[in-house]
Amino acid sequence: MPHDPNRQLQSRALQGMRAMTPLLPGIVPFGLIAGFTPVSFGFTWFDAWAGSLLMFAGASQLAAYQLMNESASLWVILLTVAAINLRYLLYSASIAPHLANADRLTRLLAGYGLTDQIYAICHRDYPTHDWDLQERVAYYAGGSCLIWGLWQACTVLGAFVGQIIPVFWSLEFMIPLTFLALALNTLKSRSHQTAAMTGAIVSFAGLTLPYNLGLILGGIAGIIAGVVHQRMRS
Amino acid sequence: MTEQFIWTVALAGLVTLFLKSAFIEGQHYFQLPQWFIDALEFVPPAILCALVIPGIFKGDVGLVREFGSVPIDPKPIAALIAAMTFLATKKTIPTLLAGMASLYLVFWVQI
Repeated sequence: MPHDPNRQLQSRALQGMRAMTPLLPGIVPFGLIAGFTPVSFGFTWFDAWAGSLLMFAGASQLAAYQLMNESASLWVILLTVAAINLRYLLYSASIAPHLANADRLTRLLAGYGLTDQIYAICHRDYPTHDWDLQERVAYYAGGSCLIWGLWQACTVLGAFVGQIIPVFWSLEFMIPLTFLALALNTLKSRSHQTAAMTGAIVSFAGLTLPYNLGLILGGIAGIIAGVVHQRMRS
Repeated sequence: MTEQFIWTVALAGLVTLFLKSAFIEGQHYFQLPQWFIDALEFVPPAILCALVIPGIFKGDVGLVREFGSVPIDPKPIAALIAAMTFLATKKTIPTLLAGMASLYLVFWVQI
């Protein structure tokens, strides 16, 4: 069989796309929500898209727009975005050795394109395949370009749909509902439940605090409560 | 698009990019400390729950902006029904539909 490196990289990229495909349906409704909720707050379609382009991280986009609408201060918004996206540190640390020695631009793009989904497929497939650096990059690029394109398309489509939907549909209420579903999905143990309850109670108690400070205090108190609960049990 | 908006989204994008590429960019790999990994477990439940609260108890939904407020705020009730739907089905889309449907219902019966 003749060995053609370009052909091989192409097929790696296609392989990445195929591996990504089953994970795509889940992001469509989420992408639409990320597009139409900012519009229902009064942002333009382009403002709504800006979050997808610059952040490319669904849950934190929703949080940022909700907090901007509540006139939260800049550092509360950034701290919340950082908290929601902290998990990327773990992904990044886990993927990094596989992409070491790639050039600077490739690494920067790989960082920007990192998502829960690309982490899932690379974490699963890198260790079980004997690919060289270029093949790993091609696989990563195939999967992340596919999800990036779909995410951008869904946000823009959602934003345009949002512009024609009347205000009284209250589509922006889907943001807290989405967070509610995401939060309930994380309650794997008693310690997680303790973290969640504490976060909610402190945030509620701090509702009238300025700058949405209650949110930050709730987050910190919840994390501490979860850690303490787990320590006490073990 | 205001200047403040551009700054906020651009900085939020930078924070996100930093977290995503912190280790991919660095040439020296090091193990995250265990206490940090342990604490990271509890960031999603804590911050997401803390984030749900102002969305439910603060601010007005479009219904209120269009038709005026009603005696009983429909948002907490709708959120409760959505939560029960999620616990029963474990699916996000039915949860969103149940939450929105009860929001409309609780609002309209009061008008």
